[in-house]
Amino acid sequence: MSEQHPPVSPGNGQDDVTHFGFRNVPKSQKASQVAQVFHSVAGKYDLMNDLMSMGIHRLWKRFTIELSGVRPGHQVLDIAGGTGDLTMKFSDLVGPAGKVFLADINASMLQVGRGRLTDRGYAGNIEYVQADAEHLPFPDSMFQAVSIAFGLRNVTDKDQALRDMTRVLKPGGKLMVLEFSKPTNPLLNKAYDLYSFNALPLMGQLIAGDSESYKYLAESIRMHPDQDTLKGMMEQAGLVNCTYYNMTGGIVALHVGIKP
Amino acid sequence: MFPGPTLLAAVGATVEAALNRTLALDPAGRQALMTALTGPVEFRVTAPVAMSWTLIRIGNRVQVHSQPDPGPALVIAGHPMAFVAMATGDPQVIPSGRLRIQGDTALAHRFQQAVEQLNPDWEAALAQHIGDVPAHFIGQRLRGALAWSRQAIAAMNANVEEYIHEESQALPGRRELEATFRQIDDLHLSVERLGARLDQLHNSASHPTTEQP
Repeated sequence: MSEQHPPVSPGNGQDDVTHFGFRNVPKSQKASQVAQVFHSVAGKYDLMNDLMSMGIHRLWKRFTIELSGVRPGHQVLDIAGGTGDLTMKFSDLVGPAGKVFLADINASMLQVGRGRLTDRGYAGNIEYVQADAEHLPFPDSMFQAVSIAFGLRNVTDKDQALRDMTRVLKPGGKLMVLEFSKPTNPLLNKAYDLYSFNALPLMGQLIAGDSESYKYLAESIRMHPDQDTLKGMMEQAGLVNCTYYNMTGGIVALHVGIKP
Repeated sequence: MFPGPTLLAAVGATVEAALNRTLALDPAGRQALMTALTGPVEFRVTAPVAMSWTLIRIGNRVQVHSQPDPGPALVIAGHPMAFVAMATGDPQVIPSGRLRIQGDTALAHRFQQAVEQLNPDWEAALAQHIGDVPAHFIGQRLRGALAWSRQAIAAMNANVEEYIHEESQALPGRRELEATFRQIDDLHLSVERLGARLDQLHNSASHPTTEQP
């Protein structure tokens, strides 16, 4: 197995660049490059998620919903909601008196999500919003819960996004960040590296006809902050009682914070 | 820490699917349960591993969450065997204290009644897979075996009771025992009355009333 070498973090004099996988790109270009990735994979997104995670992503999302504490009548924002897995569950929980906003920066993903939810009969308490997580088009203190599942690592300025998510939460509201993280077991880490840098691009090529997007997926996961760093970032954004739950040996972590 | 969130979510998903499939086999029972489930019901299993499961009604289905609800309407806590007893319709499981109840007790009674009323039509479900005649044959055999088992257990209990009371006379009979308990209760009451009377006489002797001129 070839060792993967992430680039040196952008330091002084490189403040206008950010990561795009293992490459450094100008901050102004990251959003469009991420958009290209998701435009490319949107059609096969659900199928690829099921194949790559062997269906376990459904359990990770299920645990997120269980921990959300969302009740009938609540207003919930699902950022980077994509094909609407979390939105569907939130819609069930908030009922007709509540509302779920499915937000995604990518029009293709939003279109797939809207089609899928409509086909399954989800309507009436769901709004679709094309929005950037760093600049959410919502007033302060609007939501009882905000979630972002497998989206934060694609955001250019994660600190700004966390601050804006905190802003739109009501006091006492809960932010949940479900994201790939760092496996806690070294053996699992090795196996996970082998799988993600070899099998994922191959699967991407065979199923979605695009290996580069899945190479980016593996690289972006490695560049994402680990559990404790992300917890610190959430505290910096103004959240309290921040905690995280490692799932499947830390391959994925759910971070939860409360707006004071 | 075992069991992790992924495993808990998997167990929750499996139980939820099984529960909804079972409820689909008994539309009337499902309706009664849905009417009873006016708020989240949390089940706290105390042993062998302490964990909480929450039952929530969503439309005509139930959801099973592996995490405690922030504001459950009802909490039922106890040993797994006590939950099994409740699921199999044992009406004494709550009054006997094997399951402890916190919260809306009216909801607890409605919930227990709804669970007792559940009577899924397993034969219909089996018939969808193997056909009506084989399903009816298997159903008949199973029902017969179940009825025979219940009758055998009841007969064995009666025989053992009769042997202990009548033949070996190791223990007194039920009526004899009830009469003795009644006499003990009467004696207890009489002693309490006598004690109260003595206290009253003692108080009168130590604080005599002074006559007014």
